[in-house]
Amino acid sequence: MPVEIKIGDRVAWVNLLKQEGNMLAIEVDGKKYEVDLMHTADGTFSIIENGHSYNIELVPKDGPKKYTAYTLYETFEVEVIDAEARYLQNRNAGGAGAAESKISSPMPGKVVKVLVTEGDPVQAGQTIVIISAMKMESEYKAPKDGIVKKVYVKNEETVDGNQVLIELE
Amino acid sequence: MNKIKKILIANRGEIAIRVMRTCRELDIETVAIYSEADRTSLHVRYAHEAYYVGKAPSSESYLNIDKIIEIAKRSNADAIHPGYGFLSENAKFARRCAEEGIIFIGPSPEVIVQMGDKIQARESMMAAGIPVVPGTEGEIKSEDEALEIIREIGLPVMIKASAGGGGKGMRLVKNEADIISSVRAARSEAKAAFGDDAVYIEKYITSPHHIEFQILGDQHGNVVHLFERECSVQRRHQKMIEETPSPLMTPELRETMGKAAVEAAQAVNYVGAGTIEFLVDNNLNYYFLEMNTRLQVEHPITERVTGIDLVKQQIFVAEGKELEFRQDELKQRGHAIECRVYAEDPDNNFMPSAGKVYKISNPLGLGVRTDGYVYEGYEIPIYYDPMISKLIVWGKTRDEAIARMRRALYEYKITGVKTSIKMLERVMNNENFISGNYDTHFIEKNQEQLMTKGSSVDPEDMVIIAAFIDYLDKISIPSTNNKEFVCAQSRWKKTPYINHF
Repeated sequence: MPVEIKIGDRVAWVNLLKQEGNMLAIEVDGKKYEVDLMHTADGTFSIIENGHSYNIELVPKDGPKKYTAYTLYETFEVEVIDAEARYLQNRNAGGAGAAESKISSPMPGKVVKVLVTEGDPVQAGQTIVIISAMKMESEYKAPKDGIVKKVYVKNEETVDGNQVLIELE
Repeated sequence: MNKIKKILIANRGEIAIRVMRTCRELDIETVAIYSEADRTSLHVRYAHEAYYVGKAPSSESYLNIDKIIEIAKRSNADAIHPGYGFLSENAKFARRCAEEGIIFIGPSPEVIVQMGDKIQARESMMAAGIPVVPGTEGEIKSEDEALEIIREIGLPVMIKASAGGGGKGMRLVKNEADIISSVRAARSEAKAAFGDDAVYIEKYITSPHHIEFQILGDQHGNVVHLFERECSVQRRHQKMIEETPSPLMTPELRETMGKAAVEAAQAVNYVGAGTIEFLVDNNLNYYFLEMNTRLQVEHPITERVTGIDLVKQQIFVAEGKELEFRQDELKQRGHAIECRVYAEDPDNNFMPSAGKVYKISNPLGLGVRTDGYVYEGYEIPIYYDPMISKLIVWGKTRDEAIARMRRALYEYKITGVKTSIKMLERVMNNENFISGNYDTHFIEKNQEQLMTKGSSVDPEDMVIIAAFIDYLDKISIPSTNNKEFVCAQSRWKKTPYINHF
């Protein structure tokens, strides 16, 4: 079951070919690696590849599929894009969370238009707010059917990254 | 003599813990105070007793004199250690302690006032025969007077606005031909910015070194110095790395400056631990800059080369004991370096980076000391200093100390927040630092090397593999033990778990 993993600007295809305990054969973008991998559930990884020892720490970000990864000298932003993530991406152009009841903006911007008021019933996929950021307007859609519980922003207001815009019942 | 049994530490973070460590060794009970933002700070967990002092902003907590005195009385503390920063150089606080019959571990309020005022301090030092940065006593009246004075002290000079600040009304003059026009320009700029055109002249020290001497005085008139600390690696006038001995220092200069530091302390009847800061130019001329009437952040490097616990000495002095050693019994052994680790992003103009510490592994091994206070899961508050810890290493020689510091920085891993660790590693690999050839302009002069990320030796592919395995394990059976090392879970024939769609 190969998945795509986004690391910085690169998107890599990765696939598990074989596993015997801690010995794994993994293919990354067509390149095959034989690695000895041990890890803790809270993200400390020890990988030995071709005699080289790598110590990697994964710090989870919001959700189980996004990480900040620390190696000896570098920090990477990593995201696993599996079928679910792709499905959600396609469904919610603009990046609202999955079956989340809170709609937030992933980056700082300005509210162009709030299309609902508190108490309005909404359907999944209905555009509820438009945000302009870096000269681009994005439509934020309701991730599920529900009722607008609270509107935190108004037209022309500037918002911070990850600020909650609208909450659904 | 007045044996101290319980000390309230009027501070937070690493220095509060540093002071408490010595208290533990001396069997002295410790009282911590904490603000609303510091309930989970390690200094609270380390102390015998802990009391809430006020809201998160310092003005309502760690600077709240009335409240701190009240807690000291309630807890029956016989002494207060102010650490550094906050109330450590506040004469009003020292006076209040005296009035309430609590020992303030530091100098008298009079000395704090005298050394706290730059002009008074300068005058006291001149009276004691300590060299100060040459310049005019006060405002200059005319351009002719400026010319005359500048000829006397020599170029280059700095023309500064009396009301100055923020670099306004300041002019660097390198050539005699520019003196008159620069004085005029500085004056009109000062007039425009502050409504006051008074300016004064100070000699400009080219490539200055910031070198300070640790001094220690008891209540019986004995004063010794514990040698120098080189503090020239600074950014935004904040020290980043300190070392002792200074690579610039000669035995003769050390003797002369040490003597001057002791005389400076004696001139104000100094009691306790204090620091005399000097500027030293490339020709080894030194000038008094200011005196800090408290423990310094960088005191551990002095402790490391002299073997003397400065906090212990502060407590003994406060109890009225005589110093246990004379000047000729003090020796500098080996070389010590301190790196300050800040929660900040060195690749983004040193922007502070508050947040939750995910994991931390402290460096250990021969010759390594860390004075810190953060732990796994601790949220660094946004209200206070971004310094997380100080990493101090010792080596027989300077080269050994630098190599050890590199090794210790390699071991030091803090995740969840951004830190200055990588930047410190680049300094330890900088040619000019290694050869000891640096002054207070070090960071700007070496910007290119210090800001360049080393070429990566860690292939991205290994990170991708780690993320992949973590992902696969997370979507199958959750592990019950977070800390135990396990193999990647076998997932053959487990595909149903990930077939969500």
